[in-house]
Order: sequence, then structure tokens, then C-alpha cells
Amino acid sequence: MFLALKEMRRAKVRFGLLISAIGLLVLLILAQQAIQTGLITSFIGAIEKQSAPVLVYSVDGQKTLQGSIITPPLEQQIRSTEGMGRTGRIGQGTFTVTVNDDSDNSDAAIIGYTDPDLGAPDELSAGRLPEGPGEAVGSSAGFELGDTVRVLGPDGRPSGNEAIEVVGIADDAQLQVTPTLFVPWPAYVSSVKTSNPDAGGVLPSAIGAAPAEGIDAATLAGRINESSPDADALTRQAAAEQTPGVAEVRQSFQVIFLLFGLVVPLVTGLFFLIITLQKSASLTLLRAVGAQSGLLVRSLMFQVVLVIGGGLLVGIALYTPLSQAQLGEIKLSFDVTAVLVWSGILLALGLLSAVVSARRVLAIDPIEATTGEGGR
Amino acid sequence: MSETQTEEENDEVSRDREADPTPALEMEAVRKVYEVADEQVVALDHADLTLGSDEIVALVGPSGSGKTTLCSIAGGILSPTEGRVVVGGNDISDYSPKQLTEFRRDSVGFVFQTVNLIPFLTARENLLVVDEIGSRDRKRANRRADQLLEELGLEDRAGNLPSQLSGGQKQRVAIGRSLMNEPALVLFDEPTSALDTKLGEQMVELIREEMKSRGTAAIIVTHDERITGYADRTVHITDGRLEA
Amino acid sequence: MRLALRELRRRPGRFGVATVILTLIAILLMFLGGLLDGLTAGNTGAIRAQQADLIVYSEASQDSLVRSRIEPRQRRQVQAVDGVSEAGELGSVQLGARIEGKGPRDLVPVVLFGYQSASAGLPEPPARPGRAWADDTLKAEGVEQGDTIRIGPARSPVEVVGFVSDTRYAGQSTLWASLGTWRRIQNENRPDARVAPGVSQALVVRAAETGDPPDLAERIDQATGGLTSSLTEDEAIDALPGVSAQQSVFNQILGLTVLIAIIVVALFFALITVERVGLYGVLKALGAGSGRLFAGVLLQAVIVTVIACAIGAVAALALDAVIPAGSIPFTAGGGRLIGSTVVLLLAAVIGCAFSLRRVLRVDPAQAIGGGQ
Repeated sequence: MFLALKEMRRAKVRFGLLISAIGLLVLLILAQQAIQTGLITSFIGAIEKQSAPVLVYSVDGQKTLQGSIITPPLEQQIRSTEGMGRTGRIGQGTFTVTVNDDSDNSDAAIIGYTDPDLGAPDELSAGRLPEGPGEAVGSSAGFELGDTVRVLGPDGRPSGNEAIEVVGIADDAQLQVTPTLFVPWPAYVSSVKTSNPDAGGVLPSAIGAAPAEGIDAATLAGRINESSPDADALTRQAAAEQTPGVAEVRQSFQVIFLLFGLVVPLVTGLFFLIITLQKSASLTLLRAVGAQSGLLVRSLMFQVVLVIGGGLLVGIALYTPLSQAQLGEIKLSFDVTAVLVWSGILLALGLLSAVVSARRVLAIDPIEATTGEGGR
Repeated sequence: MSETQTEEENDEVSRDREADPTPALEMEAVRKVYEVADEQVVALDHADLTLGSDEIVALVGPSGSGKTTLCSIAGGILSPTEGRVVVGGNDISDYSPKQLTEFRRDSVGFVFQTVNLIPFLTARENLLVVDEIGSRDRKRANRRADQLLEELGLEDRAGNLPSQLSGGQKQRVAIGRSLMNEPALVLFDEPTSALDTKLGEQMVELIREEMKSRGTAAIIVTHDERITGYADRTVHITDGRLEA
Repeated sequence: MRLALRELRRRPGRFGVATVILTLIAILLMFLGGLLDGLTAGNTGAIRAQQADLIVYSEASQDSLVRSRIEPRQRRQVQAVDGVSEAGELGSVQLGARIEGKGPRDLVPVVLFGYQSASAGLPEPPARPGRAWADDTLKAEGVEQGDTIRIGPARSPVEVVGFVSDTRYAGQSTLWASLGTWRRIQNENRPDARVAPGVSQALVVRAAETGDPPDLAERIDQATGGLTSSLTEDEAIDALPGVSAQQSVFNQILGLTVLIAIIVVALFFALITVERVGLYGVLKALGAGSGRLFAGVLLQAVIVTVIACAIGAVAALALDAVIPAGSIPFTAGGGRLIGSTVVLLLAAVIGCAFSLRRVLRVDPAQAIGGGQ
């Protein structure tokens, strides 16, 4: 594509500016994609990762562990639902802790479970599940194997014999953007009592449930909801997606992606329209000396692909180091799917946007070379 | 009529048209009619013109006389409304636009009055552009381009952009390009209008030399009577009609 | 100058391109900014409404309201500190509200505050128990003055006596009641987080004079033996989970978007300028100086940008009206719209500067030469 390349070589500034603009836009789109994913995961990762296929909140909990409380009568009702397999209690609280006897305090969300298959993370990236009191699995954001964690009492002092050791690590297992620990039930109860001695009985925040054989999780959730009006049962995935705020985050980012996504084809399309108009004299000349219009259109499309491809490369190159970073408590990751999908979308939109220019090229009449009206 | 062509022995590229009885151009009863608003405008009326294979014809007429239309039809840029057009043995009277485009690329050379060169290509690249849009025999094209540049005295300007060339140099590049595809016919549209008298004379001399050395036919459109001295024949055109 | 204006008027199509793109960028900036503003307001309304000089949390709470506990003794200590004119108690509980007309599983998340000291944003707490002021975002949920809504699993009744504005907390609507009401409701609904009488979560401190809040903060914390952490309003806002992270991320994105705007303006004005080299040559030959020509270009860029921002602002305001309250936290504030316009104007001017060199380089002698 001789003509396409030569023109770009001789007009480095304008093509360079266009490629850098597109590159920055690609960077912003990919970065925000990563932020959206990282943000949502850091809110509900723990819900997605915990092992219970069905989570039952109280309706008043508004689909959050921190708001939900299961009273004993409700627990009884849930247990006796038809088709119920196993149940386990799940408790959740956010506490002030010290890690490794650091002088600085930090936050930790602690999730307690009675049955490791109904509440502990279903996959560990390192270590093992707790085997006894004083052990925990920690989210990889915030904890490392071997860390010791102490819950602080209301007087701000760690309570002596309540050290918890992190013996396992799970990825993407945070709750509410807080480092999270998964502990057996007794450890959870004592953490609650340590932090608030005024507390009465410690009730579970939710019930983890597994269906009996022959029934799937969604059906069980439906039955629980039908038989107990105070229960709000959801499959694991639904619980994650319907956590308040998740939908809002997705919607907000949707609009952002739409706007940014529109800028790319608009800038590309209008750029190529302007330069096509500006070089219409040359295009007319080429048609007159025997270049087929198809050739000229292909040349145009080739430039579009180069420009968007160049912008994609620049954007992805800038995004790669960024995707390894951690923004506060939010871990970013390099999302290959997002990169591929956006590359496809932007290339397609870019080519589409050049259709107006292509039509202009096709409309050129070689006779205008002779009339000297090869310009506009 | 037929002259024996001198051949450069070691350079097959410059083996141009040999003594060739086929006329470069045959136009028979060619008419071109345009519909403007509701009227019919006859741009060319019953034109008969034949050019020998290496003949240079000056086409003289005032503006609006139809000379541009005649050239455009001869060059395969326009199709006639009626009549027969044969260029270098090819009957292009009923060619589709696509066929005409291909035909122009392979068989005709143009030197326009206004836009002649692609501004973002160097002199050399402007010559190569014909090959790029067509047959893609890169090596042959490169050799031919270099040879033409040398002949036209442009070797040291080969890498310059049109903005870095003088008017006369640009014109010479255009002539070089018009010869790249070894055309049967080259059309020159007012080649001297932007040049002063001296340069203009030099240019026409150069044109004659290049055409004759290759045995290529040419039509030179001009309103400058002095140019006619360099042509083999002069044809006058007024209001779309040719006079002998 | 006049030539530049006339060109804009007679050949709007030529500038249409740059205007369309700048409008889209303006909308982007205003939307992102509005989103940030909405998120921030939704998080911080309750704190800002206190108009406190200092907010005092317990030291162990990590400056988190819900984990903070202030005992009566600490309150007395704080009240006694020299320079403190008032130390009002503050408490909160986050529960689901059942509003008439909504389905059984369709709860509205609210934060019920118990408070003592009124401010410009908050009238005195309702004296009678079981009553509260409601943030006006609850109107969108169908709540009217005099309605009783039931909150929490215990379905505690709360009667809405009126509405207040811009008092949201953590993105949720709020109710403002007396301390007694709050404690009762907390204990009814959150038995595991029971609060004893006299216990609150934070203190809202008003200084005696418009003194020296940071200094006062230290003295208060000393007076309680290090058991409290006193923050200015700004510090308290920063400590709210997610607020500072949100702001820094959004501001980075906004910054990059402005950079893109600069590049785009530079690009399109470079393209336009190239076309007019001939025109500039003629003008220079006629006696126009480079400065005047460039001023013309600048003027065109400014006008195009102003038009783009005007359209963008209208779009942002329309978006604000159209987005249902509670889906996307977007708010189109005047300050944000004007700020975006100023920033985009600067971007346009900088982008234009790229064309300056080309305008300077135009040689009037070319005009007489005529050809390419």
C-alpha cells in the first residue's frame, strides 16, 4: 500500500497526533475497564469466592452480609425448606485489627463459617484451610501467609490471646474493599465479643445452603423465598451481582464507555474526511492516470487500520504497566478479553467511520483533472 | 511515416514503440453531448481525427471550444455519446468506466495543466506511482524511472518533493510520469501556460525530443500559436467542430 | 479579527468538525465531573451538614463512624476542654426501610442518625420519640411529610416530620432523629451492636471562637487520654471509605481526558491551517502581521470551544433531569460545568499554539507566485 504509507510518512505530525489521541483514549477505556472489574471484585469478591451455592440473607439485610441478621426462627424455617441439602451459618463483621503487631491499626472484614464447604473460599492460591482455632484464610489483597492478626477491643488494645494466623490465601476474595479473613465460627464469635463487649448473642448474618441431590441452586433459592417471606435467598452469582452498588457501578461505567467509545470513531472519521477532502486534487489526478477507485478506497481503509492499530498498540503498551498496579485497595489486572473485545470494536467502528470518506473517494470523477477543478 | 527506431542494446527498458503502422488514435464521427438543466449542450460535434503512431499534433482553439473534451475522449477519461474511438489499436468506444480506468493506466500518458504531481511523493515516487497502481513490475519500473529521470535532467532532484521543485522541474517530472507506462498516446494540456517564453520553448523542445525518440504520439492542447511550430500538424477546433 | 469571525459565520461547515468533537469531549468532561460530584455528595452530605469544627471518633475506630464508641466519660472530658463550646453526640445505624407502596422485598437502604446539635443544614432534632427529618431524596421513593416508614427487621416505626437537603451518607438516604430514638432503634434492630444509654458513635464539636481546629483537636485527644481521634470536617470526609480513592482516580481520568482534548484541538486546527496557507500568504502580502492572523485562529478556537461547552452543558443538564434518582449518581453542578468550560478553553488555546509555527512560516511572496 505504497500511497497509503508514503502519505503517512510525509505527514508524520498529523498522523502522529491522531495516533496519540487514539492511544490515550484506548488507555483510558482499558484502564476504566480494569478499574470497573477491580472495583466490583473488591466489593463482592468474597461473595463470589465463598463456597456456598446459595446464600440466604434476611430481607432487611438488603442483600448485604453486613446488614443481614438471621434470627433463630428464621434459621429454622430456612432449614426445613424442601429440597434443602446442607446448611451452615455465615457471620460477617468489620473490625479494627493490628497485623503482625504493627503499631498502625487497620481494617479487616471477618467472615465466619460453621461449614468450610458453605462459606470458606472455594479455591486457595496458597496454603490451606484453617484446621483449628486461631487460623484463617486471608484475601490476597491485604494479607500474606504467616501474618498474625489481632482484633482490637474498644479500648484500642489487642486482646491478648486472640491472635489469628493466616494459613491460606485466596485471590479476589475481598469484601467491601477491605482485607478479608475467613475463620471458623468460634473465632468469629470471639472477634465480635472482643470488639464490642456490649454485644448480646451473636447471630449469623446469613445461611449458606447447598441443595439436596437432584435440585439446582436456583430452584432451592426460589423455594426458600416462597416458604419464608423474611428470607432473601440468592444463588452465589446473583448475590454478588445484586449487592447494592454493583449495578450502579456497572451503569455509570457503561455511560463512560459509551462516551469514550464514541470519541474514537468520531475523531478518526472526521480526520480522514478532512484529509480526503484536502487531497482530492491528488485523488482526482490518480483516477485520471488510471487508478481504480477500489484501489484508492483500500488505501484509505489501510490507513484507518494502521492508525487505529497504532493507537491500540500505544494504548495497550501504556495500559500494561498500569494493569499490574494496585489503586488503594483495588487490585487491577490485565484483562485479555477486554483488550481483544475493545480492539475489535474500535477497529470496526473506525472502519465504519471512514465510510463517509470512502464515499467521497468513490464519487471522484477523473474528468475533473482536466477542468482543473480537482480541488473541492 | 515509419522510422526505424534506435534501440539501446543493453537496456531492454527503453525498447519502446517500434516502427508501427497502427495509428495511435482514430476518432470517427465522435459526438459528445451534455444535458445541462433541460438543454442539450454539444461539446464535440462530428469529430474525425487520426494520428499516426508517432505523430505530434497541436490542438488549437479558444476556451470553451471543446479541445478539453476531445482530449478527454482520446485519453479515455470520457466516453463519447456517439462515434468510434480507437487508441493504439484498442476500441474504447464502449468501454465501461472500470475498463477505461485500466486502459488509461496501461496505454495513455497525461500532463495536465494544473494538478500534475502528488504533493507527498518525491519526484521519483511520482514516476513510480503508475506502476504502483497497476502491473507492479517493480524492478522494471525502477529502472525505467531512473532512466527517465536521467534523460530529463532530474537525477539529483529525484528525492525532492514537488514543493521543493521549480515550475519547470515539476513539468519535467510530469512528462516523465506520462511516459512510464510506455503509452500509445500522450496528452498535453497547455504545458507551457505557467512558464515564461524561454522556459516554454525549452519545454516544448523537450516534449518533441522525448516523443520523437520514443516514437510516441502526442496531442498538445494549446492556445499559443508559437507552439505549433514544434508539432507535425496543427488542428483547429471551434465550437466543438474540427477544421482541417 | 473580523475576518476570522466572518469566516466562522460564512463557512460553519469547516469548523463543524472540530465543534462536534469538542462537544463530545465537553460532555465527557462534564459527565465524569458530575459523576464524581454526585458520588462525593452522596457520601459526604451527612458530615457536611453538621458544619462541625471537629468530629471526634474513638481512637480504635479507624475513623469509622459505625465502629466508633464514645462513652459518657469521654464526652464530659471533651466538653470540658477549653475552647469547646459544644460537643453534640452523634450516632448512626444502617437499616432497610419499608415504605408503603413498595413490595415486601423492596427495601430502601437508609441510615438513621441520632444527633443533638442543630446546624444551618439540620434543624433541631424532633423532640418526640419516633420522629425524624428525612433527606429529600426519599421523596423519590414516595415518602411524604407525615408518613410513617418502618425500618429494620424489627419494623421500628419512624414518622417523617419534614425534609432536609444534601444529608446523604455512604450513598444512602438518611433520617435524622433524637439520640433516644436512635438508641432504641439500634438496640431493637442490631442486638449484636447494642449501645448503652449515653454511649454514642461520635461527637460533633463546635469551637468557642473561630480558633485553631487542629490545635483544639490535639487538646481534645489529650484530654481523653488518647482514646479519641479528632478530625476536621475535611479530614473526616477524607476518612470516609472510598472518598479519597474515588477522587484521585476520577481526577486522573479527567486529567487524561483534558490531555486528549488538547491533542484533538491541535490536530484539527493543524489540518484547517494547512488548507489556508494560501489565504494567509495573500493576507500577509496585503499587510496582515502573523500576530493578527494567529489571533484570528485563537478567536475561532475560543468561539468553537465556547459553543461546544454550551451544548455540552445543556446535554449535562438534560442528563441530570432524565436520569432517575438512584440509578447513576450524577449531578450537574454549576461549578463543575463552568470549571470544565475553563479547562477546555485552556486546552483549546494550547492546542492552537501548535499551529502557530505554521502561520508564522507562511511567506507572503508565495502568494504572488501563485502556484502550488
